[in-house]
Amino acid sequence: MAKYTLPKERAWQQYLTERDGLFRTLPRMSRREFFRSAARAAAAATVAWNGIPPHSFQLVNVAEAKETPPKFTFAYVSDSHILDKGMNHRFIRACQKAVEDVNALDPQPDFVLFGGDLAQLGKPEELTIGQGILKTLKAPVRMMVGEHDWYLDLGEKWREMFGEPTYSFDHKGVHFVVLNSVIVEDYWTEPKMTPMERMLAMAQLDNPHGRPFTVGEAQRDWLKKDLAKVSKKTPIIVFSHSPLYKYYRPWNFWTDDAEAVQQLLAPFDTVTVIHAHTHQPLTNRIKNITFHGVLSTAWPWPYAPKGLPALTVQMVRADPFNQFDGCGWGSVTALESGQVNKHYALWDRNPMDVTFERVSQGPKGEAEQAAQFKGNVSWPSY
Amino acid sequence: MQKTRSLLVSMLSAAVLQLPSGVLEPTIPDQNPLTPEKVTLGRQLYFEKRLSADGTVSCATCHDPQQGFADGHPVGVGIKNQTGARNSPTVLYSGFNEVQFWDGRAPTLEEQAKQPLVNPVEMGQPSHDAVVKAVSAIPEYTDAFKAAFGSPAVNIERIAQAIASFERTVAPFTSPFDRFLAGQKDAISDSAKRGFVLFQGKARCVTCHEFNNSFPYFTDNKFHNIGVAMKGNFEQLAREAQSVPGKGAETQQAALAHKPGVEALGRWIVTRQPKDVGAFKTPTLRNVTLTAPYMHDGSQKTLEEVMDFYNKGGEPNPNLDGGIRPLNLTKEEIGDVIEWMKSLTDETGGKNFDWEQLKELSRKTRAGEIVAAP
Amino acid sequence: MGRMHRILTVTAAMAVVCGVTGLVAYGDGPQHELPAPADGHSKVVGLCDGKTSVTVPGVAPGERMDATTARKVADELMGKYDEGLQLAHGGSEHTQRETRVWEAELKRTIDEGYKWFHSNELGTNGISCDMCHPDASNTHPESYPKFQTQLKQVALLRDMINWCIENPLEGPKLAGDDPKMKALEAYILSTRKGVALEPGKH
Repeated sequence: MAKYTLPKERAWQQYLTERDGLFRTLPRMSRREFFRSAARAAAAATVAWNGIPPHSFQLVNVAEAKETPPKFTFAYVSDSHILDKGMNHRFIRACQKAVEDVNALDPQPDFVLFGGDLAQLGKPEELTIGQGILKTLKAPVRMMVGEHDWYLDLGEKWREMFGEPTYSFDHKGVHFVVLNSVIVEDYWTEPKMTPMERMLAMAQLDNPHGRPFTVGEAQRDWLKKDLAKVSKKTPIIVFSHSPLYKYYRPWNFWTDDAEAVQQLLAPFDTVTVIHAHTHQPLTNRIKNITFHGVLSTAWPWPYAPKGLPALTVQMVRADPFNQFDGCGWGSVTALESGQVNKHYALWDRNPMDVTFERVSQGPKGEAEQAAQFKGNVSWPSY
Repeated sequence: MQKTRSLLVSMLSAAVLQLPSGVLEPTIPDQNPLTPEKVTLGRQLYFEKRLSADGTVSCATCHDPQQGFADGHPVGVGIKNQTGARNSPTVLYSGFNEVQFWDGRAPTLEEQAKQPLVNPVEMGQPSHDAVVKAVSAIPEYTDAFKAAFGSPAVNIERIAQAIASFERTVAPFTSPFDRFLAGQKDAISDSAKRGFVLFQGKARCVTCHEFNNSFPYFTDNKFHNIGVAMKGNFEQLAREAQSVPGKGAETQQAALAHKPGVEALGRWIVTRQPKDVGAFKTPTLRNVTLTAPYMHDGSQKTLEEVMDFYNKGGEPNPNLDGGIRPLNLTKEEIGDVIEWMKSLTDETGGKNFDWEQLKELSRKTRAGEIVAAP
Repeated sequence: MGRMHRILTVTAAMAVVCGVTGLVAYGDGPQHELPAPADGHSKVVGLCDGKTSVTVPGVAPGERMDATTARKVADELMGKYDEGLQLAHGGSEHTQRETRVWEAELKRTIDEGYKWFHSNELGTNGISCDMCHPDASNTHPESYPKFQTQLKQVALLRDMINWCIENPLEGPKLAGDDPKMKALEAYILSTRKGVALEPGKH
């Protein structure tokens, strides 16, 4: 247990003042906001007997962020990996749970991003079930493709159901780009692999014979042309399944032509990449680009043995007894400055927030990381 | 100095509380080492109805030795027949809980004992001072306080410490299952043996209802939302929570815990963390046949109802614990688990207390035959 | 007798002797031929190296030694044991065939384990071990035995494998002697070669 440093009385007074602050703002809150904000308040009442260090009862209401007001918020649901094994299957239930949680937000987000890997094995039945669940979202949906959706039929069904995987759009002054960043070199034609063999090979994360994800020359050309029309001052948000940087090659937490893509984004003042595939809270910053990973609804990946970006505060290992632990959904708030605050709505845990203010402070020292980390401990601990 | 004192505390406690081999000792606050004199005084105070505002309710009213140290009601019934919002937990083995109350708001038995005294729907005293005054006015307690604490002075700390000391001895370890664990293979039926295997396996109980040699009480001491009573509108509930009067966190938490509707927020009331909404402490399974009805609101009357509730995957709600899922137990398997749960019923007070005596005291004080326990 | 006749007789005699000796030696392969007891009548105990032995005075051949005597004999044998080359199986070195068989069998078992680790057929819901444990990460076999929080008691690696099969994978437990269990353990352990044992580490 970490020692708390404030004298007991001072901590107690601070706690009471801030707790009153919480209660005063309660009537203005929606249910979900209420849960989110209460997360920042650890009860100092438990300090006395549990010895948990008191965090101040701070209400970091996203709507009142200090440094720059928000422009809008969008939510995300990602990596559902749906299997066609009965509607009671935990992956299907988890996807539905995320949709219910997003639908309960008040106010509603401007739109919902689906981050890819809707299906587990790319089958039409899986994609159809997934589409059916996402259709019940109240807010409009923007789709992004993942390798599990693509490699059974090389995107044929996906295009039919959701349109072209690469596109861009503008929303409230921000330019959004959606990429298919799971292009890999053809290794299936020569050995005459069947579609399902190819899909299973792509589905295995630790496939020792896997090839790295790329955006590819064709899409980079498209991106160059698309960005040519955009002012350098316009905030850019890129949606990509693979991270668009290099984290861990053996698990394809990797984009092989990341540098080339980053270079196309280099001239812009504010760029954020929202990526999926990694199923874990992940934060990185390379020059002018901030990278945020999103959660999966289906299962969490462990953190890779090497290559973890220093900015990332890891979530505690998930408990396999709990089918939703380490999973969830989330949201991104675009600020006036064009940067973003990232919110991880972890199930069965307190939510995690990675604000741009925090990102711009740089990687924390070990002690600080540990302290921040403790506030997000889930039960049970091992 | 601190270490020597703790060792002394645990040696004294060991003399008063006897545990089966390999079982870890309970955590006893250093300020309240367990002594026979405190246990005696604590027993007297436990049955003392004059602790309540109108002299009708004692600890034994809701935690009745004749009813498995619970009360057989869905929720506690206090002075003037007022009902609370929560099911009365059993005192049996409560000394081994890390925290007390369904929402864990009291860190010790001592702290727990202080709360019902001033709860308007339980014992209804206006303040702890009123309780102290009431006890001070009873001359029969002078010698007992002197024997237990070295002087006849009465204060709320001593009252709570004595009651807690008595409660710590309410730990029998005399169930058929205890005998089975000790090596008597025919102490429980084959069905119960199968039930125990299911409890640790397919039925997924043991992960929350922790059981092992060191800690044989069937609780992980953590808080889980399994969906009982999760039917409210929580935004509304939170607003109500803010309007409850009370000075300081303790009183407010206690008040919220007894407000019907709001109390469903459970552990959240104490920690204010979203993951704790609707979460309640895992209770013990020991003596579960004596402590019906079940769950924090007493909403489930029979063990069959409880098993069906878990088998279907609890009650869906936005905060349902991810460990809860449909179990697909067959009717027979459910029967086996229930048979096994029945084997967890203690038969006597064992080495630590005289259950028959306490049942007698309960009967007599309820009937008005005696005013206080001797 | 002619000179030739004598040579033949001696040769024949030698052949008979060697032949008899050969018959004794042929039996079940190399054996530790125990020497006669030093005192002429007591029990002789031989070490597995095929060479070292000790006489146990006061104990007859075939008689069972008590615990103290047995302990003394073992200590004496180990004291006399020439560490040199560890020989087994009656005193012969390991052959190349044997070494190749060991390696092939181990590789086969580990590969089998890799296959099951990545298979969704252990469970009933399409989930496989590598979904939470790519490259067997986070399996920490070196930390067993330890108190496993999901089981609420001390577990071995195989207990946790079975728990995972039953719970996240919703499949049937493997029997203790199921070759799949052996293979899974082999694969998982093989990924942690060289990592120090740390039972109880959380």
